[in-house]
Amino acid sequence: MTEVIDAGSMRGVPPPSDVLLDVRNMRTTFKVMDGVVPAVDGISFSLKRGKTIGIVGESGSGKSVTALTIMRLLDIPPAQIDAASEVWFDGREILGLPIDQMRRIRGNDMAMIFQEPLTSLNPVFTVGDQIAEQVRTHKKVSKKAAWDRAIESLGLVGIPSPERRVTAYPHEMSGGMRQRVMIAMALSCEPKLLIADEPTTALDVTIQAQILELLKSIQQRTGSALMLITHDLGVVAEMVDDVVVMYAGEVVEHGSVEEVLVEPRDPYTMGLLESIPSVEKRGGRLSAIKGVVPSPFNLPPACRFEPRCPYAWELCRRVAPALNQVGTGGRHARCHLHTPDGATRLRPALDTHRVALSAGRLMSTDQG
Amino acid sequence: MEETEQRMESTEQRALATPRIKGRLRPRPIGPILRARAILNGVIAVVLLVAGLLFFASLVFHSAAAGFGDLAKNPGLLVRIWPAYVVAIAARVATLGFRNRRVWALGLASLVGVMLVAGAVGLYFIGRQPSTAKPLDAANATFAIDALAVFLLVFGVPLLWSLLRGLSWFTDRGSMHQIKTAAEIKAESAAFTRVGTGGLAAPAPAASSSDEPLVSVRGLKKHFPILGGVLRHRVGTIYAVDGVDFDVQRGEVFSVVGESGCGKTTLGRTLLQLTPPTAGHVVFDGYELADVDPEDMRPLRRRMQIIFQDPFGSLNPRMPISDIIGEGLLAQGISSRTERDQRVGDALELVGLRRAYTRRYPHEFSGGQRQRIGVARALALSPDFVVCDEPVSALDVSIQSQVLNLLLDLKRDLNLTYLFISHNLSVVEYFSDRIAVMYLGKIVELGTVMEMYRNPRHPYTVALLSAIPVADPRRRSRRLVLKGDVPSPAAPPSGCRFHTRCWLRERLGNPEQCVTSEPTLRVLDTTNHSAACHFSEEINEAAVENTVATQSVVETAAAG
Repeated sequence: MTEVIDAGSMRGVPPPSDVLLDVRNMRTTFKVMDGVVPAVDGISFSLKRGKTIGIVGESGSGKSVTALTIMRLLDIPPAQIDAASEVWFDGREILGLPIDQMRRIRGNDMAMIFQEPLTSLNPVFTVGDQIAEQVRTHKKVSKKAAWDRAIESLGLVGIPSPERRVTAYPHEMSGGMRQRVMIAMALSCEPKLLIADEPTTALDVTIQAQILELLKSIQQRTGSALMLITHDLGVVAEMVDDVVVMYAGEVVEHGSVEEVLVEPRDPYTMGLLESIPSVEKRGGRLSAIKGVVPSPFNLPPACRFEPRCPYAWELCRRVAPALNQVGTGGRHARCHLHTPDGATRLRPALDTHRVALSAGRLMSTDQG
Repeated sequence: MEETEQRMESTEQRALATPRIKGRLRPRPIGPILRARAILNGVIAVVLLVAGLLFFASLVFHSAAAGFGDLAKNPGLLVRIWPAYVVAIAARVATLGFRNRRVWALGLASLVGVMLVAGAVGLYFIGRQPSTAKPLDAANATFAIDALAVFLLVFGVPLLWSLLRGLSWFTDRGSMHQIKTAAEIKAESAAFTRVGTGGLAAPAPAASSSDEPLVSVRGLKKHFPILGGVLRHRVGTIYAVDGVDFDVQRGEVFSVVGESGCGKTTLGRTLLQLTPPTAGHVVFDGYELADVDPEDMRPLRRRMQIIFQDPFGSLNPRMPISDIIGEGLLAQGISSRTERDQRVGDALELVGLRRAYTRRYPHEFSGGQRQRIGVARALALSPDFVVCDEPVSALDVSIQSQVLNLLLDLKRDLNLTYLFISHNLSVVEYFSDRIAVMYLGKIVELGTVMEMYRNPRHPYTVALLSAIPVADPRRRSRRLVLKGDVPSPAAPPSGCRFHTRCWLRERLGNPEQCVTSEPTLRVLDTTNHSAACHFSEEINEAAVENTVATQSVVETAAAG
């Protein structure tokens, strides 16, 4: 994980060559009737070649918009990408690329797997047609070669008798099969980056296990990097190397998966982990994060998590926290607890968290 | 008449006499016909009896008048007793409309009455002038016999049958498999409707039968027809729920888990009789629900409520919260607006929402708040038993725990019993006391949470548990990945329904038994744990680990 705080001072400077994706200070807003909504509000992270990063957050945290902005799939307007935003992909800044060059990258060097495979596949073409079309768009190959490629990639994702299945229509397949087709399509051009937006949310738990294991093994074989967007911390723990936790359009914490999920340092991440039901918490109450995600029209003035935060104090209502460094590594958390002002409160907060994690917090913090 | 009206006003009658609710609720006077339903029952009963008696009486009368000998020689005479047929047919229609179309039935009954009189008069004159009846010639006689045969076939048989049924229905009412009588149900319902019974306080649990299960399900089946072809005839059957047995004890959380399509939602709905079961019994607190007449079902419905999965689809966007929650109260006979609003407010406070929200509409609330409204709607009726159908699966993690906490608090405070339907095994592990795992319409394993999670005894449960992603990277381990998808419930595999995906069967060298004989749910070493697998004893950690180590990760899609 590279340094992200001084993204501004890195402007225009390409990242080191081992970094495949470098998102700097990305800000995407939507102009709607009631005003301007900052869906993604100045986030930065980077992903090395062949690695996996997890973007975690609840609905409305801006994680899907992050992916769509990187893919440049948003309609502009209503969406607007801030001029200061930079996304470096494979040594090139892609937000400023002309659209025809972007088309060459999209689907070829970076591919996306969507949440709902049925709506993402065209119902009137066979899956083979759809995969071959993508191959022919990006590679100079014959129709026959593209068709063979489609069969090959269906086989790669474990679809039995791919030469027969290649002529099937999406509706003839089950949800798990369709998701495999989506992955096959994404893999057909051997992308360097695979973006998976909630790839298993619509699937049953046994099928989810199939797809996750498949993604892992494909990544091992092809060496592509994976950006996994999910709300499921279990999936994150299973799959990724680094985690970015998002809340209300901002990054609130990031670090390696071991650091963030085992020793979270932002109150929001702590709260998320505490609220996962487990057998140890039986009999006690689950500790819930009180309240709801704030409306993007009416964000709290300083810290966006402050109204729901059990550790907030006066400073949190006055000054918006920066992404403060935690410890000595490349870990950061957007919380005043990690500034000199919050130093005395940090220890008690972590103790409370530890108790809540094991036994549930016996507190009435769940008023809607 | 005035006296009757006053009697109708009594609370008990109001509890029973409830209009069908349509569209938006408003405090409106209940129509006189509907209010007088109790009288109506009597009217129809009398009409039915009279009609039946007259039918037979006119047969006898006519036969006697014509002489049995004449009748045998000249069956065409029978055609002349048409008024009796009309009466009987009308009575048949009246019985059809009896249960749910009472107003209709009243109209028909009066029509029947007119016909009766006309028929009686006609018969009287025929009887007085037997000599005028000229002997019919041969051709006419044949036609008359044919006509009579058709008449009897088409109307006579079902008619007699329905008359008998209609009559036996009256006499049978006392012999339902009930511990309590209908009068007692009504009394309980009246207690609920009585003004000022402390709002949502829990009803005292029935001490007499507290060791009996609150809900007993035996052999419950729900099959849906697959219609096809031009004539929309049945071309197949979906075995959504195919014979399940379990008991839900008072005060426990009984969970049903399984993948989509395993029939868990259908189970919940069939259990509540929201869709009629194909076969099987559901006994709720001593009442055999299939036998309870729709009439007596209403007070029981109050005691069995459901919370739906989708907080967006399950609330009518055109109704304010007061009506969404108040609808059930009105259906249970609380017709006073102020009383209803009071109870709606109580219910909202109970689920942690403000009383002042009653006049708002669903779109003004967040997902978590909507789910609270769904909970309030169920609890406003002070139920004993609540079916929670995936109540948290549409919610974000942080909101999910709020709603789970709320459900547990309410269970404790209101003495509730839950049937919790979920696909999320972590939630179920935290939330429930006992679990049933369903696969393709059958329960494959049933036991207490501790037993089941520590010592799963069905290969499907093992795989399900192995597939749960744990939010702890230190516990990252390889999963036991099942092959393929759940087969179609329209064509479940023979023998053990899980055999097509079973890792254990593969390990044991594909024994024939799994394909040929269907395993039954058998009690294992402990009394609290049963599984439907021929080879439960073969499951151990070494076997699981070995399978995980040798499985292919990519070739997990369904073969074929």
